[in-house]
Amino acid sequence: MSEPILQARALVKTYPSGDRRIEVLRGVDFAVGAGESVSIRGESGCGKSTLLHLLAGLDTPDTGDLLWDGEPRVTPERRARFLGMVFQAYYLIPELDARQNVLMAARIAGRLDAAARARAEDLLRRVGLAERAHHLPAHLSGGERQRVALARALVNRPRIILADEPTGNLDEATGNAVMDLLLDLCAQEQVALVLVTHNKEHAARTARQATLHLGKLQIP
Amino acid sequence: MPWPLYLALKQLFPTGRRFPFFTFMSGLGVAVGVALLHVATSIMGGFGHEIRRMIVDTQGEIQVVSRANIQNPAEIMAQVRAIEGVAGVTPVVRGVVMVMHRNVPAYPMIQGVDLATVGEVFHLQRYLVRGSLDDLDDDSVILSTKLAIELGASVGSQLEVYTPLIIDRMGRDEVLLPRVVRVAGLLQIGHDQLDRSTIITTLRTMQELYGSGDSVQALNVRLAPGVDEFEMVRKINPVLPWEMRAQTWFETNADFQSIVKFEKYMVFFLLTFIVIVAALSIMSSLLISVVRKTREIGLVGALGARGLHVAVCFCTQGFVLGLVGTGLGLALGQAVLHFRADIVRVVAGLTVGEDVFQQFYQFVDLPSHTLASDVVIIAIGSVLASTLAGVLPAWRAARLKPVEALRHE
Repeated sequence: MSEPILQARALVKTYPSGDRRIEVLRGVDFAVGAGESVSIRGESGCGKSTLLHLLAGLDTPDTGDLLWDGEPRVTPERRARFLGMVFQAYYLIPELDARQNVLMAARIAGRLDAAARARAEDLLRRVGLAERAHHLPAHLSGGERQRVALARALVNRPRIILADEPTGNLDEATGNAVMDLLLDLCAQEQVALVLVTHNKEHAARTARQATLHLGKLQIP
Repeated sequence: MPWPLYLALKQLFPTGRRFPFFTFMSGLGVAVGVALLHVATSIMGGFGHEIRRMIVDTQGEIQVVSRANIQNPAEIMAQVRAIEGVAGVTPVVRGVVMVMHRNVPAYPMIQGVDLATVGEVFHLQRYLVRGSLDDLDDDSVILSTKLAIELGASVGSQLEVYTPLIIDRMGRDEVLLPRVVRVAGLLQIGHDQLDRSTIITTLRTMQELYGSGDSVQALNVRLAPGVDEFEMVRKINPVLPWEMRAQTWFETNADFQSIVKFEKYMVFFLLTFIVIVAALSIMSSLLISVVRKTREIGLVGALGARGLHVAVCFCTQGFVLGLVGTGLGLALGQAVLHFRADIVRVVAGLTVGEDVFQQFYQFVDLPSHTLASDVVIIAIGSVLASTLAGVLPAWRAARLKPVEALRHE
């Protein structure tokens, strides 16, 4: 593995449950190199999404360290430029059309310029939605919405994509197509990928496959 | 454009939707409140403005009054007229009399005017609806229209005028017969009370009726256009004898003006609550919006937004709703003011009738006078209230943690 761009050390995360705490992550060590793809599998409720949220800096661990590009500084501003996220439920803003949804990530990152607009057009073309750029999410199919979400995740040229069950809401054929697109785009853009999935076949397509079990990450 | 502002505008005016129903309905409450405030303050302002117009039109901007009657009016008039900014001066005597026409009595206010100078201050001819000022002499009067109707008199009718002097003479065992005068014209000022109880006659006749010799009660002063009345009062007072004093129309009618102003403020105060209720409805809509858009709030957090940005987004929505509502409200209020005469006619016709309405409000037509300062206060107040209404939803949205918002079901 090349120099890790994202590194987690001894992450511990617990949640309160009545008068005790449930330990979801028990000292997880994890690292991803530039352009590398890693999948994380595990049973439902084992903490995969929790780990992904910790890696994205959306949640804070009880103990442990997180480094982005070797720096422990995890801020919303850095997140906007360092990583892109893809969710199972797409999370498109219903009042914005496909192109505006893609550009929303650039707006928030403070990068909305002609280059960002051109990149958004390019990404929509590459995900096969050039003709539907001005359609609202309500007028797009599930697969199309997820492709918009892929374009949005990539518009700021992030170092890494964190994808949380990106095919979970799609039928098999559509899910496979989205997966193809995700892996192709990450490869073309040289972007690292952390894929949380239940799907064995999808997981098998990443360079490394990890399993989260009883709060520990097992990487063969 | 900063993204919180962009997203706020997009949420209020979504792409591809011709009519933003949510925005319209949320702004409607503010619009109704603003329209009511605009109409009410303009109408109340109209009353004050009309009263001022009538007072100034008939009495001039300044009155010179004295502790006793003014014995040498010509001399004082010359001194006042010589002051720069004074356009005209005329003496006046007023009093209450009893008039009878065919055994119908009335007790109007009679005013004696100096025919040589009255035109400098009071454009009497402008208010005459029948007859002519040229026909007014020492044996005639001009009646206000509704008084004429009450007495059953018209131009050419003969009236008997009884004055307090008759009673005074009776105390000295003298018999003074009532003065018989001819109606030379009919006058309509536009103020119900004045139109029901005003008689104009010559100064000489009035002095005879009241036995006041050559003295007068006051001098009415007309100023040149654009001259400040308070400034002129400061200029006139030094040339007057100690027992006389110049005062503006506002001071002369201070009590009445204060009541009109007080009523305006009360109406403003009470109607402000409508705007507050409208702002609360905006708050409620935005709170619902925060719940409805919890996942989107989580998303923008995941894309790198800070809580403060999310708060600005919701505050902006309150501000824009206030802006839209205020704009609609001012337009609606302006439309109501434009068609107020028709609206009043319909409402009065359906309820008490136009005559009762005029009697109660004193005006033939519902007056309106909009002050730019009132509009600015209403606009700023309602937009501010709507923006503040966005603060609580904004605070709640800002406190949402992205990770919890994304998990929201």
